[in-house]
Amino acid sequence: MHFFDRIAKIDRRIIFLLIGLAVIIPLIAPLGLPVDITAPVKSVYDRIEAMPEGSIVVVSIDYDPGSEAELYPATLAFLDHCFRKNHKVYMMGLWAPGITLGNIAFQEIAPKYNKEYGIDYINVGYKPGGAVMLLTLGRNVADVVATDYQGLPIDSFPLGRMVKNSRDMDLVMTFSAGDPGILHWIIYFNARFGTPIAGATTAISAPRQYPYLSSGQLLGLLGGLKGAAEYETLVGRVDRATAGMDSQSIAHVVIVLFIIMGNIILVWEHRRKK
Amino acid sequence: MLTTIGIWIAAFLTLSIYSFLYKDNPFYKAAEHIFVGVSAGYWTVYLWFNYALPNLFLPLFRDGNLWYIIPVVVGFMMFAPLIPKVSWLVRIPLTFTMGISMSLFILQIVQGDLLPQLQATFLPLTGIPPFQVFSNILIILGVIFTLIYFYFSKPHKGALGVAAKIGIWFMMVSFGAHFGYTVMARISLLIGRVFFLLHDWLRII
Repeated sequence: MHFFDRIAKIDRRIIFLLIGLAVIIPLIAPLGLPVDITAPVKSVYDRIEAMPEGSIVVVSIDYDPGSEAELYPATLAFLDHCFRKNHKVYMMGLWAPGITLGNIAFQEIAPKYNKEYGIDYINVGYKPGGAVMLLTLGRNVADVVATDYQGLPIDSFPLGRMVKNSRDMDLVMTFSAGDPGILHWIIYFNARFGTPIAGATTAISAPRQYPYLSSGQLLGLLGGLKGAAEYETLVGRVDRATAGMDSQSIAHVVIVLFIIMGNIILVWEHRRKK
Repeated sequence: MLTTIGIWIAAFLTLSIYSFLYKDNPFYKAAEHIFVGVSAGYWTVYLWFNYALPNLFLPLFRDGNLWYIIPVVVGFMMFAPLIPKVSWLVRIPLTFTMGISMSLFILQIVQGDLLPQLQATFLPLTGIPPFQVFSNILIILGVIFTLIYFYFSKPHKGALGVAAKIGIWFMMVSFGAHFGYTVMARISLLIGRVFFLLHDWLRII
């Protein structure tokens, strides 16, 4: 049997195994490949750096555990940066399970900077209603937010009293895995109230956001795990996204090799049939 | 202790799901069924506490706001097709929903999506670096040729056919970028799971 025939009939489980090894080995023995910083990520970083201390950043956790692998590292790196610059974080979520993930992220980062709940950061919980809710939120926060995620009155927290409408929000950062998510913030919130929007999305939905980046409706973008790794590099926080980049690169090389090989075999088979 | 048990359960379920890559087996089936069951239970509780309770039951029964009876009645009309004699009642909530959606979303999508995106294609071609000029030309041509592809009132022949074909090429590049990002996303998910197994479970990294 010709070599190409053998490759064409290769057991798919061998391909799975090779992809698995391409991911596992670099995690155990990192190669330390460099992480290049792209302009959309730098733009988010620069905005956080440029904002005066005490600025209010609305962080919307619009994902669930299914996208945790891509978006949670970005959430950690972003919160780390916000707290380091002494900004106040007003967290909410368009996806119900995101609130729990947001709280876990707060528990991981806030103690590092001695930040206090209700003063430096708050979680107002899951907000259903998508577009209608966002349009109401920008006009009058009290119509949407009566309590924090624990059911305590929002007015009992200093930070809760500070945010009354979109004019009190200096930046919205959405960590978005789909719908409702980043598009709602851009199309409804940014267009109606003009509040700057930045986002971190899963890699699969990142290309969809590039037109909004070029139109200026989106301030910056962290696309997938790569975007998170870039942000980790910028804030000097070597964590799980950076650790995963070697695996990502090696797995991509393996996949590209398989695609090239598959196409060569296809051309070879066509010629043989002729 | 509870965290350790949780990690072991998560690791077992992760391995059970991945075992499908070798072949279908009872562990995979069990994990799949557990996932479906837990998701259904989780969402039932979440919908109750985040939608039904704060938006209907508390205002109606605790605060005594009788206006909330109207959405209850209109909501129940959605089930009217189950009774053929009164199935026409479903038109009331449907037209209400459509009317609200149209008035709200069309206006906002034109204002927030269509017009800014159209504006973003009015790009300068002078007074900027050469690469930026090239990039802007590419965007303008990409928009024009892709739109031509979706013009179906005349057959795609002659100049129109050539332009439509160039439009296809632009779309192919876009699909390629989407596919590349999709591969990246899937590998990222695998990295996330492997990281969990090696870091949280086995603690070897």
